[in-house]
Amino acid sequence: MDTYVKHTGRVSQTFIYLGKLFRMFIFRNDWKALPMAAFISGLVSFVVGKKMNVSMEGTLRGAFAFSCICIWNGFFNSIQVICRERHIIKREHRSGLHMTSYVFAHMIYQAFLCSCQAAITITVMVLAKVKMPSMGYVTDPIVDMFFTMFLITYAADMIALFISSFVKTTTTAMTVVPFLLIFQLIFSGGFFSLTGNAYKLSYLTVSKWGLTSLCAQGEYNSLPMTSLWTSMSKMRSMEIEGQKPVDELLDYITASKRKDELMLECGSNNQDKRYESSAENVLKCWRNLGIFIALFAFLSVVMLEFIDYDRR
Amino acid sequence: MTRTTEFLAFFAAQILETIGMWRIFVKCGKRGWLSVIPLFRQYYLGVCAGRDGEGRMLALLEAGVDASIVSCIFFEVGSLQYMVASFFFLLVMIPYTIFRIRVCFGLCDAFGRNRFWVVPWIVFDWLCALIWGLIPSFKTAEGYPFDEEEVAPELSGLEVDLDAPGLSINITRRTAMSFLKRKVLLRDIHLNIPMGHMVLLLGGSGSGKTTFLNAVTGYEKAKAVITLGDSDVYKQYNSMKYDIGFVPQQDLVRGSDTVYRTLSDAARLRLPADYTIDKRRNRINDVLDTFGLTPVKSSLVDKLSGGQRKRLSIAMEYISDPTLFILDEPDSGLDGVMARSLFEKLRSIANTGKIVIVITHTPDRVADLFDDVIVVAKDAMRTGRLAYYGNTIDAYEFFGKRSMEEILMSVNRKEEGGEGRADDFVRKYSALKAGGMA
Repeated sequence: MDTYVKHTGRVSQTFIYLGKLFRMFIFRNDWKALPMAAFISGLVSFVVGKKMNVSMEGTLRGAFAFSCICIWNGFFNSIQVICRERHIIKREHRSGLHMTSYVFAHMIYQAFLCSCQAAITITVMVLAKVKMPSMGYVTDPIVDMFFTMFLITYAADMIALFISSFVKTTTTAMTVVPFLLIFQLIFSGGFFSLTGNAYKLSYLTVSKWGLTSLCAQGEYNSLPMTSLWTSMSKMRSMEIEGQKPVDELLDYITASKRKDELMLECGSNNQDKRYESSAENVLKCWRNLGIFIALFAFLSVVMLEFIDYDRR
Repeated sequence: MTRTTEFLAFFAAQILETIGMWRIFVKCGKRGWLSVIPLFRQYYLGVCAGRDGEGRMLALLEAGVDASIVSCIFFEVGSLQYMVASFFFLLVMIPYTIFRIRVCFGLCDAFGRNRFWVVPWIVFDWLCALIWGLIPSFKTAEGYPFDEEEVAPELSGLEVDLDAPGLSINITRRTAMSFLKRKVLLRDIHLNIPMGHMVLLLGGSGSGKTTFLNAVTGYEKAKAVITLGDSDVYKQYNSMKYDIGFVPQQDLVRGSDTVYRTLSDAARLRLPADYTIDKRRNRINDVLDTFGLTPVKSSLVDKLSGGQRKRLSIAMEYISDPTLFILDEPDSGLDGVMARSLFEKLRSIANTGKIVIVITHTPDRVADLFDDVIVVAKDAMRTGRLAYYGNTIDAYEFFGKRSMEEILMSVNRKEEGGEGRADDFVRKYSALKAGGMA
């Protein structure tokens, strides 16, 4: 007869591992992820911040850049956390560790880390005088922004956690990261125009939903488009039959103070339905990022359940 | 070339290659018809070349190559599917070619031919297969197969009594599936270890010591019946795993925790849930004392010396007070004095009525502390077999040696610098047990 002795359950185990992770944060220098986030967002704010939420082009560029740093932060938060202690987990699994507890502890800890990073990024943006959205679609504008950045970072974090749960070494994990990043950048749909099957692939990226949410919150479709004015300015000196029509036209528009009107008109003719500023659109993006989080956390548990099959 | 012609050319090359391979397999003493099955063909070509591992990989890559070729033929040129298939083909062809080169080198050695043959083999494999298969002068080199084994010792079939107190081990065999081949890692190991015994597990590298321990603990189940007292380790694994402590070779501890916290977490994980906080704290303090870790209990694990870290690793398993305590090279990286001190602690644990099994590569400095020795050795088929189990004094007499290291040398294979007498001792031990039982 199998004598049943109750051992520590899933909830208690979650707290055991949560404790371990927070001690790691203090003693193993995991806290360095936070100043790193500040440094990167400072750099990005310096480069693309001035035009963000000011013009269509600047908003798209800024949203893309900030999505990328969130993804970067998320990937590097957890790409090594499981694989670097794989042997330890295997041993502990044999001693009664529940993988659900282990992954859930990681989820809580990483949520803390990601929320800190999102808060730091927004603080740096404010300090760098990046124009913030004027309207909140779900809650307050800053809270909406924080939540979007948190979800982008957390979704990327969970993807990296999944990778870390099935690769055997940290070297392999770090080799995979560039490929993941490239995939996220190319298929975000923001900078490279995607069509057909390639566009469908963009649905599978965190960057697309993050970018869309940031653009929607920044009221992308209500902003002026400056690229036409910039292009025309470069053509001022163009002569046709001894005259400079572009130069004359621009002078006329400037003199009649209709430059802003032109750029707004230009923007309204180039609206992108994907970036529609509405609570539904923002919530849809959040929901999709949430699906990424849940799916990859689940897959991490599944992968780790097979850890006993690891060869020595 | 039209699509149909391309397909026919591909198909014809496959048939010609199959015919050639059939004959090559026959020349190598394998079944010719295996060449008809595409993936098996690549694997057995590797076996013929004496490179099983490469053959296995080649078979997998061949599947990828064939799939991409067929896809390219069926999809319209310029379509997305065609592009993906072509890209995949390119990706797979690189490792495929490397593994083909490796297998072809082996094949050239097997047939005693110049290794320059690799080039035509890569470019016109079907033609080379026909030439090597059908031309009689292409035959295997003298002495092929180069790693032919002798006959392994027969099975003893002497099972031990499962009702005997202590740890009863009856391992019929432990196999592992490796691609298309089942490899027997352990076979015919039957022994009973009484409670309170400290046992040395001796065997050369790759003889199956860790596999044996994993089978005993139930981590990697074998075709076996293992009982500890009245409990069946395999059938009652969920409860038994808390009664078995296994200390692996590496120190698997997190450097960012303190010693106390590490032990405390291990206790919370391994001890029954109804343990009160006081009871648990007392147990942790006892174990800290037993392993001399009290002075460093507040230190970070990263700051510990090698010996202290090893003791902590052992303490983590000992915290649950297991009946069966197994240690895989606990003295690695420790000097003689520290190792001796550690083994004396293990001896004292055994004296409390526990079973302690230890693997060590420097057994002679602590041989007097052990009650028994298990000698596992690779037989002619490279399967782990029991060459001896009994008390340490009798072991010297059985092997005709004066030290444990000499015993180890006697069962190690010649290519490993040993005497290669494992099969003799497996037979001798079987005969001894059969005589004893009769």
